[in-house]
Amino acid sequence: MLHSEPHLLAIYALLVAVTIVVQVGAAAMTVGLPYLSSPRDAQKPLGTVPERLRRTVDNSVTALALVAPAVLLIEIGGVAIPQTVLAMQIFVAARIAFAVLYPLGIPYARTAVWAAGFLATLFLYLIALTAPLR
Amino acid sequence: MSPELTALTLAALLQALQFALFAIPANRELGPGYTMSARDRDPSRPLSDKAARLQRALNNHFEGLILFTIACVAITLADKSNALTAACAFTYLGARTLYVPAYYYGLNPWRSLIWAVGFLATLLMLLAAIL
Repeated sequence: MLHSEPHLLAIYALLVAVTIVVQVGAAAMTVGLPYLSSPRDAQKPLGTVPERLRRTVDNSVTALALVAPAVLLIEIGGVAIPQTVLAMQIFVAARIAFAVLYPLGIPYARTAVWAAGFLATLFLYLIALTAPLR
Repeated sequence: MSPELTALTLAALLQALQFALFAIPANRELGPGYTMSARDRDPSRPLSDKAARLQRALNNHFEGLILFTIACVAITLADKSNALTAACAFTYLGARTLYVPAYYYGLNPWRSLIWAVGFLATLLMLLAAIL
């Protein structure tokens, strides 16, 4: 189940969806559901942790948008190798760590796991692009 | 083409339409002089509430669309397309279409409920893809 890139991608997408739910829940506790369901014409600060979660969601969505095409290129091109599965496993693990470290406000480690996920993504593109040469 | 991919293509077209719906009032309010600049500073006059709502609806759909894209592609690649996943895909499309007027007119709490319908449809598809 954790041994195919598209499967890991779908799992990460689900984790991002869960992060969104947690963010909405945290914001509901500080500013309340009536504000959240209003059109929010006047922006209210959400409070430290919900704002961190909002930035976590933004960063996770960006990471998801960047990794998804690489996984598709590898799958459609039929160029998966054991290392691409490993890279996707590292990506998902790093992004889970990111989503825990950011709301807790832990510096450096957060940036380190972000970099791990980003490098795993770059590796996938490298394989997708150089596969026709192999 | 699987029904999910048809819904996905229509959702991307909806996003293009949302972009136009936002860009036209934004350019009329701020002027092309500002919108075509590097926008180093905020505009001297902020967007009207209605145009700002269209902008937030557009940005929110980018987020929804990324998750929905993965759901549609994962279902199609894994050959897991069935009546339920197809119904979810078109439910998403319907919800995201209704979301735009719901945001524009400030329909409270309907906008949030419509958002939740689209979000749950995506979640069901992602679960169907991995289970």
